[in-house]
Amino acid sequence: MEIVFGRLDERVAQFTLSSSSVAFANSLRRAMMGEVPTLAIEDIRIYDNTSVLFDEMLAHRIGMIPLKTDLSRFVRKEDCTCEGAGCPHCQVTFTITIEGPTTVFSGDMISDDPMTGPVEANIPIVKLWEDQKLVLEAVAVLNIGTEHAKWQPTIACGYKEYPVIEITDQCDGCGMCVDECPRNVLEVKGQTVRVVDGKLEACSLCRLCEKACIGTGIGEESAIKIDTDETKFLFVVEGDGSLSAQQIVEEGLRYIRSRSDTLVEALQEISTEGL
Amino acid sequence: MIPVRCFTCGKVVSTAWDEFKERKAAGEDPKEILDSLGLERYCCRRMLLSHKEIIDEQYPYQ
Repeated sequence: MEIVFGRLDERVAQFTLSSSSVAFANSLRRAMMGEVPTLAIEDIRIYDNTSVLFDEMLAHRIGMIPLKTDLSRFVRKEDCTCEGAGCPHCQVTFTITIEGPTTVFSGDMISDDPMTGPVEANIPIVKLWEDQKLVLEAVAVLNIGTEHAKWQPTIACGYKEYPVIEITDQCDGCGMCVDECPRNVLEVKGQTVRVVDGKLEACSLCRLCEKACIGTGIGEESAIKIDTDETKFLFVVEGDGSLSAQQIVEEGLRYIRSRSDTLVEALQEISTEGL
Repeated sequence: MIPVRCFTCGKVVSTAWDEFKERKAAGEDPKEILDSLGLERYCCRRMLLSHKEIIDEQYPYQ
């Protein structure tokens, strides 16, 4: 198994996973989306809310704000030594005290932990007018995406099988498939069609080129064949900023490893029991 | 108020709203504004395109 990064930014990662299987690719996707923990606001205590939004709506908006998470410093509440009471290792408290007229932004949340705060400071929470007031306390905890989407570290996260484009000798270079391709993957070179350099990964496997080729009256068989390599996958992982893209991939892989280890241990236990 | 995140993919779109509104009022093509704001997917683009801000009309009735 091999991972080669095509692009690795703070927020976005694109990589190819090769010598693998569909099952592994999908479990990696699911692990990254649903099993990598992040911080998000869970409990809110509203002391005063005379804004135009209801308390519930306000709580929902505040819950959706992504928070910068340092995974080495926090543990999930149920695993914490404080046994769910709430301590600096498992929760962060934010406070908002604002009077109108103004717009309340995510940057107005005052954190009790200087290292933890909203990823973006300019997310509007609510607009306040004269004599309107907002006083609240919000508690962020660490949890996973399968519990609620607000704990998902990824936004767009998916994969596709690696495209394999084969052009047979029957191709006469008519260029019908080039015109049809929505992603400009193909070009005419001399008497035949070829894949533009570096564009192979852009192929969306729509097979419009195959249809266009048969449409030219070439016969039963298309001169261009789109196939997939079932052991190679193109991943796109986009983070919401709470964790870096690299961290999301690493944590996803670490989760799969720990779960497989648990499975192996359990199997060993069962097999030795029978002896 | 503009939703904090895109309903479909979860990207934070609310930060782009003020700029989108101003530039659209100045007569710029929405396609170009959305492209320059980095809203690539059509799920995020429709969040801004189809949004109607009604909070300014609500506040006298509170």
